[in-house]
Amino acid sequence: MSDNQSRNVWIKIDNPLGPNTLAKYKDIYEDVLDDRRLSSDLKFCLRNQENVPKFKYNTERSSSDIKEQVLKSDRVRYVIEHLISDKKSDKASVEKEAEEILAEMAHNFNMGSIRFFAFFMVKVFKALFRRVYVNADGIQMLRELIKEYPVLFIPTHRSYFDFLLISYICYEYEIPLPAIAAAMDFSNMKFFGWLLRQCGAFYIRRSFGTDKLYWAIFTEYVQSHIRNGDRPVEFFIEGTRSRTAKSYVPKVGMLSATLESYFKAEVSDIMLVPISISYEKILEESLYAFELLGIPKPKESTSGLFKARNVLNTDHGTVHFHIGTPISLRQWSVDGNLDRIVHSLEPRYINSLTDDENELSKKLAYHLVLEQQKMLVLSPWTLIATVLIQAKGGMVHIKELSKEVDWLKRQLFNLGAYVDWPANVQVENVIEHYANLHSNIVRVREDGIFEILSQNSVKRGKKLLQDEVFLNGATNVMLSSYRNQLMHVIVRVCLVSVVVNSCQSTSLKIVDMLEQYAFLERLLSREFIFISGKTKEDFNNAVIWLQHVGALHIEDEEGNIKFSLNKHIAFFSAVLEPFLISYWVLCQHLLSLPVDVHGRALAKKHKEIAIDAQQLGLKLLQDSVIKNHEILNLDMLSNGLHSLIDMGTMYKDKRVEENYVSPNHRLVSGIAKKLATLVETPSWTQIGNYTNKPITQSLSSKL
Amino acid sequence: MESDKKPTLTSNNCAKAYEDSLQVPESASAIPKRRQDLLKWNGWGYKDSHFFVNKNEQGEFTGERYNISGTIMPGMKDFMMRKVSIDLNKKAPAQPELTARDIPVPITNNEFTSEIKKAGISFSDDAQDRLFRGHTLHEIFILREGRFERLPDLVVWPEKHEDVVKIVELAMQHNVVVIPFGGGTSVTGSLLCPVKETRMIVSLDTSQMKKILWVDEKNLTACIQSGIIGQDLERKLMEKGYCTGHEPDSMEFSSLGGWVATRASGMKKNVYGNIEDLIVHFKTVTGRGVIEKSCVVPRMSSGPDLHHFIMGSEGTLGIITDVVMKIRPLPECRKYGSIVFPDFESGVKCMREVAKQRCAPASIRLLDNDQFQFGHALKAENKSIISGFMEGIKKLYITKIKRFDLEKISVATLLFEGNKSEVAAQEKRVYEIAAQFGGIPGGEENGQRGYMLTFVIAYLRDIALDYKVVAESFETSVPWDRLLDMCRNVKDRITRECKERGLQHAPYVTCRVTQTYDAGACVYFYFAFNYIGTANPVHMYENIENCARAEILANGGSISHHHGVGKIRQKFLEPTISAPGVGTLQAVKEFLDPKNIFANGNLMIDVKSKI
Repeated sequence: MSDNQSRNVWIKIDNPLGPNTLAKYKDIYEDVLDDRRLSSDLKFCLRNQENVPKFKYNTERSSSDIKEQVLKSDRVRYVIEHLISDKKSDKASVEKEAEEILAEMAHNFNMGSIRFFAFFMVKVFKALFRRVYVNADGIQMLRELIKEYPVLFIPTHRSYFDFLLISYICYEYEIPLPAIAAAMDFSNMKFFGWLLRQCGAFYIRRSFGTDKLYWAIFTEYVQSHIRNGDRPVEFFIEGTRSRTAKSYVPKVGMLSATLESYFKAEVSDIMLVPISISYEKILEESLYAFELLGIPKPKESTSGLFKARNVLNTDHGTVHFHIGTPISLRQWSVDGNLDRIVHSLEPRYINSLTDDENELSKKLAYHLVLEQQKMLVLSPWTLIATVLIQAKGGMVHIKELSKEVDWLKRQLFNLGAYVDWPANVQVENVIEHYANLHSNIVRVREDGIFEILSQNSVKRGKKLLQDEVFLNGATNVMLSSYRNQLMHVIVRVCLVSVVVNSCQSTSLKIVDMLEQYAFLERLLSREFIFISGKTKEDFNNAVIWLQHVGALHIEDEEGNIKFSLNKHIAFFSAVLEPFLISYWVLCQHLLSLPVDVHGRALAKKHKEIAIDAQQLGLKLLQDSVIKNHEILNLDMLSNGLHSLIDMGTMYKDKRVEENYVSPNHRLVSGIAKKLATLVETPSWTQIGNYTNKPITQSLSSKL
Repeated sequence: MESDKKPTLTSNNCAKAYEDSLQVPESASAIPKRRQDLLKWNGWGYKDSHFFVNKNEQGEFTGERYNISGTIMPGMKDFMMRKVSIDLNKKAPAQPELTARDIPVPITNNEFTSEIKKAGISFSDDAQDRLFRGHTLHEIFILREGRFERLPDLVVWPEKHEDVVKIVELAMQHNVVVIPFGGGTSVTGSLLCPVKETRMIVSLDTSQMKKILWVDEKNLTACIQSGIIGQDLERKLMEKGYCTGHEPDSMEFSSLGGWVATRASGMKKNVYGNIEDLIVHFKTVTGRGVIEKSCVVPRMSSGPDLHHFIMGSEGTLGIITDVVMKIRPLPECRKYGSIVFPDFESGVKCMREVAKQRCAPASIRLLDNDQFQFGHALKAENKSIISGFMEGIKKLYITKIKRFDLEKISVATLLFEGNKSEVAAQEKRVYEIAAQFGGIPGGEENGQRGYMLTFVIAYLRDIALDYKVVAESFETSVPWDRLLDMCRNVKDRITRECKERGLQHAPYVTCRVTQTYDAGACVYFYFAFNYIGTANPVHMYENIENCARAEILANGGSISHHHGVGKIRQKFLEPTISAPGVGTLQAVKEFLDPKNIFANGNLMIDVKSKI
């Protein structure tokens, strides 16, 4: 796999991180593929299933039994009767609709397909990955847990391969394969859509807001699996694959629908198992990058997935699959003082979760995401990416890079992160190895300079995308998605650093710091996961940590904090710069919108505003007014916009089921000013030249 | 030696007690005034009846009172070792009989005592009399292992309504606490004396109010003194060709007054009704005088029914004295039966259907698999080859032909009452319904055994305690649709709580459905665990039972079907009846008992209402 052409003078060992040097066992992990490389795949997929543990209260039933029971369930019948009595529909057509919904949704789990799946996937994984590390203790725990409780798998979601890996690992370790809640778009994938359904995936529409029948069938279908414990139920709390490789704000709907079984005492407990899957190289990295830039993604298709970058021939490094400590819903609700007695007065099939239960589900959802984050494994490449993003002009000498990466590694260890750093290997060698693995992003020149590459032009439909700034942007967005993978470890420290860095004097009152910290946390709350009500605690911990490493010290009893600018503050505040500048540009765009007679700007859809702001960013980039390519990341702009809405700085309108917003100039400009005190921004006059011009050119005309 | 007629006596008071009971032969009771002469002072039931493991390490039941008395049960020891992990070498024998030195010095109120004496009401401050209390695990454990912090200071034995009026008057006058005592079969801690009570506590023992005052054959009612115990009541009515049909499992020892005060339920309620259905009229002596209705009528509309305020008041409002109860002619025919189901779930479905069709026999009960196995373990060794052979055939039929799994089957026991044709028709209908749910008739003998075991099951706790196992039962009522989930979840919760508390051995939890109603059922749980290695087994038991009760409530079940609230379930009262509900009870209490002389601390007393 190694690229001998780019061998450099400082490399002492030939290919120091080649496949043979990665151990089968590492810390708590073991490689699941190792045995498979040595034995017959056929034998593997035909092995018997006697050792697969079963839930103690399970009654054996087939996929069609499940469908039948769901259709006959009280919950579904109740809703059907309601629909009929509301004269919305006649009996025959509602029942037909129910059957169709269920047919579209239900999985068709069968052992034959699983064997085929195992045979096929083991080959794919062996081709894709060097090692797939799994924590063995988690496996043992799961095997016991399955017997005692209904179990939910809550994995991180950063790739298509998440589904496949989880099911594959379950097969490997003789754990019942999960029933997977998948988005409907996957069902249209030609081969995988079918195969996944055969392997236990069930498909849910992306949105079905007020469709009572759909909601009832969906809830019953999921809860039926929980009650009978047929197999673990797996769903992605982030709702969709994270394109940015950091955790999305969790979606609570699916979770609370699942937890209802416990709230209504149909089961005595539910165990939620967070699972974290860390990829060294995300298969969809370039697809994501272009999608984040707003270039329409090709329709979900199997051939698309594999053709995308000749995937099977590319080395994707290692994967870490970490099964977390199960969270007992009972314990969680006991601690939350939840009293299930409130459901004694109504039949349980009537949809009725209390506010407390919804609130608890939401808290639990956030907690689960934080638990997932704790178990993520940081590849050295994420450190390299973080440092590279700060490099002036996208170039840095490997000596300096090594120094910086090594420094960052120590900080991360210190913050309790698991960095997958190989033992006894020179920093330069590690970097060189990852440069090879990500040779589509960086190049090491003969003189030892690292440089960030521009992406090749891509074809979308009939149009060829070749704008240099955009293609550069794509690389930067890819790089930033690797930086994002470590953001959860440092983000709180970063926030404090920004506050300190922006301070004009050499000391600061701790209460003022907290206030600014809280502002930033609120502003970035769509970007990173913060637990509401824990602001002060998080802040204190970050301050204590910075104190511990000598970046700050508390001067006196009144809480004055003294500091001098130092490495920590400089580095960690710089990490957040791209976010803050992008948000600032977004504000500038909003403020530039012409105000009509009512004193308001024309209301627009979220998406339109984000795209327009991106256009402004593009121009600023082209003219080098700003250097930050992440301004082109629509996800970031959209997060910013939502935060502004959350903070009440936007007027909201609902028109024809869609949300329209327009800025409250006074409040938005307040935020922009505050941002300008926290981060270095281009001057007003520079920006003024751009924002006064109406933006007419749309993105598609650029393509 | 003294004469044969008198047993050996230990105190003068008791000698008097015995003479008293001899003086009224027409109302001779199965239980003497001095109960401890016949009954265990620190365990359940008759002294002569108890389980033990004989020298061949086989279970045996002593005495001659019950069907299983004198039989050897070869399966019992194994069952106990397997299910509650007893170790025959680790016994925890009870402490020897307590004496006056071992119990708190009585608080005296000389004026009250002398007035009682003057009124000619029998009383005693003998240690053994004061010690005879309820049967909650907590109480029994103290009797076996420890010391009571607080006991009644005096026991009085009124013989008629007027005596009770006098006692209550004097108590009001001298500020003395009165705690009514019927049969002492309470399992809710309701007979425990509040430790902080500084006034003299009088235990008002109703056992000498045991006459049937009159029988009205035209209206089929009888006026009965509240202290009569169940077995005496039925026996005496039977002599006249009648019965009340009220048969709680404790009927050998529990009293009519106790039934009213706790809203009791009888096994045959499907035919005769629960206590609230059986009662036509009663008198209650309160601090403000006697509450009663002016007529003996089947029903009336006169505002909220006062009976329902007093029924279930657990001794907090006053003393129930003379009760007019419905009586019925003795049934012509009584027949047992049983049904074997492939599993508990199908059994429950069958019971639901029986309730739906309102064709339940006098009693229908469903045992879960653990309880079925337990009943099996208590089977006597086969006395003849034939019966052994028949057993084998039956088992073969069930397991090989019907393909039932012995680890899953559940059994319903049935009791039919009525005339012959009614019984036959009922039987046919019930067995037909059972067949729809895969149930097959399991024979009359198994049914009969099942009912006999209900009386004996209470004796098991004593042998369990002998081997370091604490055990207790608790019950609830629950809607049909939540019954199965509740049974499963409660068992699960108990098992988990035991594990979390670090108990070395898994607990034994089993349940049975004992009553069916239109809208739900009554469920009994039995729960035992081996307490080796724990510091305070009773405390742990109570904690776990509280968890189980919380689980029951979360599963849509109730605080209690018929045991009552007592002291051990007080914290669940307000969640059950709402804060204004508790306030209402407290307001009534305040009016009827301004000095709080009925200060037994049960039910709503001391519940900190949110209002």
